Amino acid sequence: MKKILLKIKKIKAKANEREILKGVSFQIKRGEIQSLLGPNASGKSTFAQVIIGNPKYKITGGGIFFEGKEVTKFSPERRVKLGMALAWQSPPKIKGVKLSQVLERISQREIEIEEAKSLLEKEVNLDLSGGEKKISELLQVISLNPKLVIFDEIDSGLDIKRLEKVAKMIKKELVDKGVSVLLITHLGQILQFLKPNLTNVMLNGKIICKGRDFRKILRTIKKYDYEKCKKCLSAKVS
Amino acid sequence: MTMKNVKNVYPPKFPEKKFGRVHYWQIDHEVKNIFEIGGVTILPSSEAWQKFAWTRKFFGEKPKEGYFIWVKRKIDFPLTTCITIASPKISQDLRNLLVIEKNIKVRANVICNAKEKFLCGKHLARGKLILKEGVFLEYNHIHKWGEKDNVQADYEFTLEKGARLIYNYRNLFPPENLEFKTTIHSGENTSSNLNFIINSLNSKTKVKDTVFLEGKNSQTVVRLRLVGRKKSQIEAISQIFATSPGKGHLDCQGLLVDKTAKISLIPQLVCQNKKAQITHEASIGKVSEEELTYLRMRGLTEKEAIDLIVSGFLKV
Repeated sequence: MKKILLKIKKIKAKANEREILKGVSFQIKRGEIQSLLGPNASGKSTFAQVIIGNPKYKITGGGIFFEGKEVTKFSPERRVKLGMALAWQSPPKIKGVKLSQVLERISQREIEIEEAKSLLEKEVNLDLSGGEKKISELLQVISLNPKLVIFDEIDSGLDIKRLEKVAKMIKKELVDKGVSVLLITHLGQILQFLKPNLTNVMLNGKIICKGRDFRKILRTIKKYDYEKCKKCLSAKVS
Repeated sequence: MTMKNVKNVYPPKFPEKKFGRVHYWQIDHEVKNIFEIGGVTILPSSEAWQKFAWTRKFFGEKPKEGYFIWVKRKIDFPLTTCITIASPKISQDLRNLLVIEKNIKVRANVICNAKEKFLCGKHLARGKLILKEGVFLEYNHIHKWGEKDNVQADYEFTLEKGARLIYNYRNLFPPENLEFKTTIHSGENTSSNLNFIINSLNSKTKVKDTVFLEGKNSQTVVRLRLVGRKKSQIEAISQIFATSPGKGHLDCQGLLVDKTAKISLIPQLVCQNKKAQITHEASIGKVSEEELTYLRMRGLTEKEAIDLIVSGFLKV
């Protein structure tokens, strides 16, 4: 039986005095792929940022455990050293700093991604297309040689061809090497390529249900929208 | 690939290790060496005052120390000067003069430094640089001082018709007090590109740069980048005066890295010719929390992340 890599117990978090996560519990095993679906502003990105330790969010309850060790109060860089990584949905621009300079400082393993070569001498996330930003994020998180990667909306803004390419890279460089992956997605397009073991649905700062058949969940969401998730899926929780 | 330390290390290396041959090198008050080059006259300023009467109008008064460099022929390598403080409590009073004859292209590396961190030296430098018609000069000016030094630098460039200047100033290690003044007189069809990088740490810095667009079609772009680190104060005034139909732009940006830092920045445009076009942009900000968090989520420590963001900010 696979060991649990990340365990989150009833985590509560707020930003600017507004509670965003309202007691989220979650766990992922080594080598497992999971997805997290949810409408806009349901708390998905906050959840990702809280897991990696963004100091902007204040933890008001619960705990985060990585390989059995509590990391709730660890700095982001300490979590990264342990093997946690996040690919941002909208990464900030860093003027004057080239992607190659960042990689030079963070890389723990050498990788070659053909699509990324042209980005190396460009400034980080500056004047990049949506697709290029995703490739840049993917390259950075892979280079960290992580044990867990959270992809926040890696499929947004990508056409189907590019999406397939990105999914193949994730599979080759991470999944096939036993890295756990959490795919946060609004529309769920990437799931057809990566086929998660478990799909979670978040609404209003809580994971309200989970299911093993991501296709069924996607069909339900498409048909009834997220507002009906609770009713539609409560009976199908695995 | 592994993590790299991106910090600068004190003490700074002596110039010959980085810049190759030093053509004029003064340590404290003594000339350590002068390296003669064909077509270039290099003398201590006091000797130039005696030998060439025409230099007196530029020096103003008889200089005690400093250099005189007169470029009369094309040189294919950078001209390098270095003024060093190596002993405690030295007070230098320099008058430097660089004259470049018509249509010559020169690259100069100009280093002023202290050998050690706590020499409590004083460095007063006044320089005049004469770029005759059609000259191109790239002037790379580097300051590396100790924490207790006092530095006043006042450089005046005269650009004759068609001359072009690229001036890059960078203070890698700031002194306790720095007063840095630059004046550019721009003749007809001249262009100047000034890039000032001012780092301030436990120090007070006053910067004033003034460009006079005096000739028809003279152009200038001034980029000022100020970084206020711990316990530092920076006051900067950046000015363009246009008396002829020229073009100029000031791009002044400050970055507060520490809460104990203070930056005051005044861009000033004075236009006395209706055909002149002069503009400015100015801003002072702090290190973006989002950028910082992003880099920390890539495994960099807060300090490493700030250093990287600052290095990007300083790229002009």
